[in-house]
Amino acid sequence: MEKYCENIEQMLVDYADEQLSPSDSSKVAEHLARCEHCRRLLAGLQKSLELAGIIWADSLAETENIRIPTTKIRKIRWLRYAAIAASILLVTTVSVVWHTLTRPKLNELTFAEIERKITESGSAARLLAAAELLSDNPEAETIVKQQYQHIVETYPETAAAAKAKLRIK
Amino acid sequence: MDQIIADLTIELNHTTGKLLPESSLMEVFSTEQWRLKRIIASMGLNASDGEDVLQDVSIRALKQSKADSLTALSSREDNIKWLIRVTVNRCLMEHRSRRTFRRNAGEILKRRLETKTASKPAIENVIVAEELEIVRESLQKLDDSLLAPMVLRYFCNLNSKEAGEILALSPSAVRIRLREARIILAKQLLERGVD
Repeated sequence: MEKYCENIEQMLVDYADEQLSPSDSSKVAEHLARCEHCRRLLAGLQKSLELAGIIWADSLAETENIRIPTTKIRKIRWLRYAAIAASILLVTTVSVVWHTLTRPKLNELTFAEIERKITESGSAARLLAAAELLSDNPEAETIVKQQYQHIVETYPETAAAAKAKLRIK
Repeated sequence: MDQIIADLTIELNHTTGKLLPESSLMEVFSTEQWRLKRIIASMGLNASDGEDVLQDVSIRALKQSKADSLTALSSREDNIKWLIRVTVNRCLMEHRSRRTFRRNAGEILKRRLETKTASKPAIENVIVAEELEIVRESLQKLDDSLLAPMVLRYFCNLNSKEAGEILALSPSAVRIRLREARIILAKQLLERGVD
C-alpha cells in the first residue's frame, strides 16, 4: 500500500458519505481511478454498511413488537403505593396476632387458682383473728409475733398478710 | 413523601383535565418510540432486553418531566435528544456479553426472502449469507464507543453534530470514530475474501 493510500484511506469514509469538499472529493476520485486497493476498500465500505443496515433492520423487526404504553407507568406508581400500604397492613396484622399469641397470661385466672386464693385468704384471716385474740394476753406476745410472721411468709398476697405486717411494726 | 405528593398532584390534574406538566416529554416518548426502538435494535439488544431498556427510559422520562415542571419546559427537539441520549447510554450499560445480533445470516435471508416476491438465485443467496455473517460478527465485536456513533449516524440518520450532542462528543470526534468503525467493518469483509 502506498503512503498516499494511507492518506486517502482517512478520507474514504467521508468520500463515501459525500461529506468531502469538492476539491478533496476530486483528489480522492483521481486516486481511485488508478488505485485498485482503494477502490476495493471503498466497495468494502459501501457493502459493509449495506449489510449492517440489513442486520439492524432485522433486529428492529423483533424490537418493534415491544409496547410501552405511557399510561401504564402511572398505574405502576399506584401499584407501588398500594403495595407499600398492603405491606404496612400485613406487618401490623402479623404484629398484633403475634403479640396476642405470645403475651403473658397475667389476667387469666382458672377456677382452681381462684379457689386456692379464696382458701388462702380464709386461712390467713382465721390465723390473723386468732393472733389478735391472743395479743390481749401479754404472755403470748412471742407466739403472736411468730403467728404474724407466719401469715406474712405463708400468705403474702392476702389482706391478712398486709395487716400482719402492720402489727409486726 | 414528596414523590407521593407529586404523583397525587399529577393524578389530580389529570382527572380535572388540567394540562399535565410532563405531557410534553411523555408525549414525545410515545411518538418517538419508533426511533428509540431503532437504536435498541441496532445496538444488538434482543426484544426482552430492549423492553427493559425502553421501560427504564420511560420511567426516567417521567421523573425528568417532573423535574422539568419545576423549572422550564424543554423544547420538543431537546426532549428527543434527551430520550435518545438516555436510550443510548442505557444500551451501552447492558453487559457486552448480552449484546447479540441473534439471528444468523441464514435466518435473516430467509425472513427477507419471505417478504419479497422475487427471490435471488440460490448461489447468490449463499454469498450474501456469508457476507452477512461476517458483518454480523464484526458488529458484535465492535467496541461500544464505535458502534453507538455508527447507529446514530447511519441507522437513525443523525448528522455528526446531532450524534455528538447525544454522545457528548465533538462532531469531529464523531467523524473520527465513524471512520474507524467503517474501516474496521470494511477491512474484515475484505480480509475474508469478499469483494
